Amino acid sequence: MKIKKILVANRGEIALRVLKTAKEMGIKVVSIYAEDDKTLPHAMLADESYSLGSGPLSETYLNQQKIVDIAKKSGADAIHPGYGFLSENANFANLVESSGIIFIGPTAESITLMGDKSGSKKALEHLSIPMIPGYHGDNQDEEFLANEARKIGFPVLIKASAGGGGKGMRIVHKEEELLEAIRGAKSEGLNSFSNDRVLVEKYIVNPRHIEVQLMSDTHGNHLHFWERECSIQRRYQKIVEETPAPNMSQELREKICQTAVQISSGINYRGAGTVEFILTPNNEFYFLEMNTRLQVEHPVTEMVTGYDLVRFQIMVAAGEKLPVKQSDIKQKGHAIECRIYAEDPDQNFMPSIGKIEKIGSPTLRDTRLDCGFNDGAEVGVNYDPMLAKLIVWGEDRKTSTQKTIQSLDEVLFLGVKTNRDYLKRILAHPAYVEGKTHTHFIPQYEADLKPKSFTDENIADLIAAFSLQGISRPTATGVAVERSTPWTTLTGFRN
Amino acid sequence: MEKIFFINGQDYKVTDYSLKNGVVSFTYNGKKYEYQNLGFRDGLLIEGNNHRFSAHIGSVKDGEQVVMAHGLEARMSSGKKIKKQSISGSLNSPMPGKIFKVVKNVGDEVKKGDTILILEAMKMEHSIRADKDGVVKKIHFQVGELVQGGAVLASVE
Repeated sequence: MKIKKILVANRGEIALRVLKTAKEMGIKVVSIYAEDDKTLPHAMLADESYSLGSGPLSETYLNQQKIVDIAKKSGADAIHPGYGFLSENANFANLVESSGIIFIGPTAESITLMGDKSGSKKALEHLSIPMIPGYHGDNQDEEFLANEARKIGFPVLIKASAGGGGKGMRIVHKEEELLEAIRGAKSEGLNSFSNDRVLVEKYIVNPRHIEVQLMSDTHGNHLHFWERECSIQRRYQKIVEETPAPNMSQELREKICQTAVQISSGINYRGAGTVEFILTPNNEFYFLEMNTRLQVEHPVTEMVTGYDLVRFQIMVAAGEKLPVKQSDIKQKGHAIECRIYAEDPDQNFMPSIGKIEKIGSPTLRDTRLDCGFNDGAEVGVNYDPMLAKLIVWGEDRKTSTQKTIQSLDEVLFLGVKTNRDYLKRILAHPAYVEGKTHTHFIPQYEADLKPKSFTDENIADLIAAFSLQGISRPTATGVAVERSTPWTTLTGFRN
Repeated sequence: MEKIFFINGQDYKVTDYSLKNGVVSFTYNGKKYEYQNLGFRDGLLIEGNNHRFSAHIGSVKDGEQVVMAHGLEARMSSGKKIKKQSISGSLNSPMPGKIFKVVKNVGDEVKKGDTILILEAMKMEHSIRADKDGVVKKIHFQVGELVQGGAVLASVE
């Protein structure tokens, strides 16, 4: 079935991401926006755009019926959910399809299966996918769980089954912390996901987070687009991602990717998905979870393989065959993504807000800024604090690292405190340069990642810039003119 | 002329400071500097100290401006120091958000570090903790209420 019009059920950079590919394919795009987003690019660049009104998220971007109604009204024949929001909501996938609209994503069954961490591990048992030693069963008695933890041996991880993003997670190093951690994870699971089920797992010290990009069509083709290394995280959220993973043998790389394909073919998956693995310092890897959506960090894969993953998602949803074979998909060069967040890394990553006076744009070759904001936009408290993704390709890892550091100076986000400078410090750190990444990179190198102190020359340059603001060069008559700063008038639109 | 600049809260004194005809000059730490703005259309283009660099300056926020120049980023002000008020025992909201949970009640005894309430902002939860041992004197907001950044949320005595 041909797709002629797609409603993008999301906001910000990912809404624009989908919009761009749809336009390239000659498909019309419908966007939706909450009232407080009405001047953002995603509300302005689509062929049609509809307001979701205002109020809490449940009334706007999470209002399933309202979104389906808009899709029907506008004649959209497919809905792309982006990531986050309704992208992994099986009810929504069902509602969309039962309304006669194509859901650009996996089946509701796959979403349900992989959405529950315990359930997914059970379902994969027969595929002999390597699993972290642990207990994922139904017995949720506190004492029983504590005993399972003792059997595994400390340190152990207690995790809410329905959890994500670090919510409902506790690391337990000793007996005395155990029961409190189980209770804490249960109550956080209940509060955040209305589900107090937890699982217990061996906690791996200094693991790497490696994931595999998958894409499956409905004709039995289950392809992988190689791995991504996403170990650099804060608050359990990735901030730097790259591909290929450094310090990984081709043999291991292929083994991990093959294992991921075993999963997508084993559950007869459809569309884009990502299998996440934990890689131990001894190069053993274990299944972590499967994300049944397009990931935030998908662009690094696109840069290195040269394929447009959103295009493939749309083709698969339309029932077409994937136009590539596994042997066509090669990694060329190296790509890094940095997530630019509105936050202060020097104040425990406290989110920040404000008006973006100037975004700026990267100018080097093979750089990409996926950003949902325009100059003059307000960053508020109602949405995720990610401002943009800077994605940079280079011939090799060293080149892409250098280009990323350079490009970070070009994306200013003036007006809002961001982690831009902090990202530069990460990329310049010797351990990063050597590719020695693991998920505790940020706490381990906390002291090294503090702001560098300024040299005398830096101080002088800063004082000069501060002093000369609003004062332009001497005119022919030798008298400098005061001028209005451009920031007062910069409300121009960019994407 | 002597002039004080504050960079990320730290004070720096320059002497022989002069700003006229589009040229700024001063002495800092024993060295003389001179710069001019070449009037770059999109931001500043500054020349001096043996190099040329572009710079961007944010608008005034809490008495300070962000200055970005060839990879440097700093909060700056000149003249008098900006003081951030912080009164012991009074717990302020670090940012605008919504009260997610009130953990302690008025009259409860608390130890330094105990969570009194939880603020939800930007999809994350932030514990507001007692900054000293004492008794919860007042909780100014209820669950679900929106609060401004800096608002006093609770007080401990």
